[in-house]
Amino acid sequence: MDTIHDLGGMQGFGAVEVDEPEEPFHHDWEARMWAIARNARAADWTIDWWRHIRERIAPVDYLSRPYFDSWMQTHAAGFITSGVFTLEEIVSGHTDDRRPPPPAENLAQVLARARREAHRFEAPAPAPARFAPGERVRAVSTPPLGRDHHTRLPRYVRGRTGTIHAHWGCHVFADLAARGIHEGQHVYSVRFTANALWGEEADPRDCVHLDLWESYLEPA
Amino acid sequence: MTTFDSDEAAKVHRQLHHALPSDPALRVKALESLVVERGMVAPETLDAWVEAYSEHIGPKRGAEMVARSWLDPSFRARLLEDAAAVAEELGFQGHASAHLKAVENTDRIHNVVVCTLCSCYPFSILGMSPSWYKSAAYRSRIVREPRKVLAEFGVELPEGVAVRVWDSTAELRYLVVPQRPAGTEGWSLEQLTALVTRNAMIGTERDLSPYVKGAA
Repeated sequence: MDTIHDLGGMQGFGAVEVDEPEEPFHHDWEARMWAIARNARAADWTIDWWRHIRERIAPVDYLSRPYFDSWMQTHAAGFITSGVFTLEEIVSGHTDDRRPPPPAENLAQVLARARREAHRFEAPAPAPARFAPGERVRAVSTPPLGRDHHTRLPRYVRGRTGTIHAHWGCHVFADLAARGIHEGQHVYSVRFTANALWGEEADPRDCVHLDLWESYLEPA
Repeated sequence: MTTFDSDEAAKVHRQLHHALPSDPALRVKALESLVVERGMVAPETLDAWVEAYSEHIGPKRGAEMVARSWLDPSFRARLLEDAAAVAEELGFQGHASAHLKAVENTDRIHNVVVCTLCSCYPFSILGMSPSWYKSAAYRSRIVREPRKVLAEFGVELPEGVAVRVWDSTAELRYLVVPQRPAGTEGWSLEQLTALVTRNAMIGTERDLSPYVKGAA
């Protein structure tokens, strides 16, 4: 979907604020939100549905609210659309449907769980890989499911020609996973020269690599 | 159950925009209270997660991987071949590490990592990402004018160096392996690890020379 999240190549944002304190969290509420996200979710969410909910935050909020506030909004909207909480419960912070908490986990248990959460995304291949390293490919101009759905094909590469750099195997296809459907599809690292993406004014020494699923690509 | 209805999600966002207080701390406090009341998590568990990502899971892990690669050519070869497996050997596996790729800087190549579509990051290897990594300015510009952005970080690239930008559009995650700086011959693993910065492993720092960094 061509929403505000697809920022690659957009102009006008100004300088990057490079001076920033080193500590991992800059506010307590950021740390709490991160921890909530590690523990509380609806059973039917997928990572790509969650990403898509975040993409649907109103553009003005997406650009102006703090980063972890967008996580809060994504969790809130996800809970409401999954029927886990009502809008009123999200706003009040209270529910009449109270349930006993699970046993508390200490640091060692949490660190062990973090290690177990190295989720893998490989999925069985429906067919042999269509492309091989070195082949020229063009990114399609319209994402495979159309323009009204989640996709991981950024606007700035659509219609551009690049070269297969590597075949990473077969991974769950994000566009369908955002609709709760788990299907494997080959994924490739594709190298685009800066000139192919941005024209002659770009530096001819440079290139951009993207990881793209097979249905984003056609032979060039 | 969700129906994965995109427009419904957008509608709920507009409702939230009007119904929630402006202060993000209040919003998150209400959400925490709610998930605890519902029995989704114990508050002490949330405390432990904050501690885990404040004190234990952070860029020192990636720095150790880089420093080991400087000391041991066979480790370096394995890191470049299968960084996810190397992370697991060291006990560093976790969030977003299962499809980790290491990309090496050379005299001719400088690598830099971004997620233009959201904020994908190898949390288990580098910890929490800096705010600038998630900013619209960085995400929009690093793929289009990487040299200007790198200059804002103080990175001066020699004439013969090409820039490779890695946009994390799928579930692969990237770790930049910076070059070992001159003047560190004979340094221990611990000394070398301390030289490697988070920004160098994202690619927004290049020269880790202790004389440049003032760490000598």
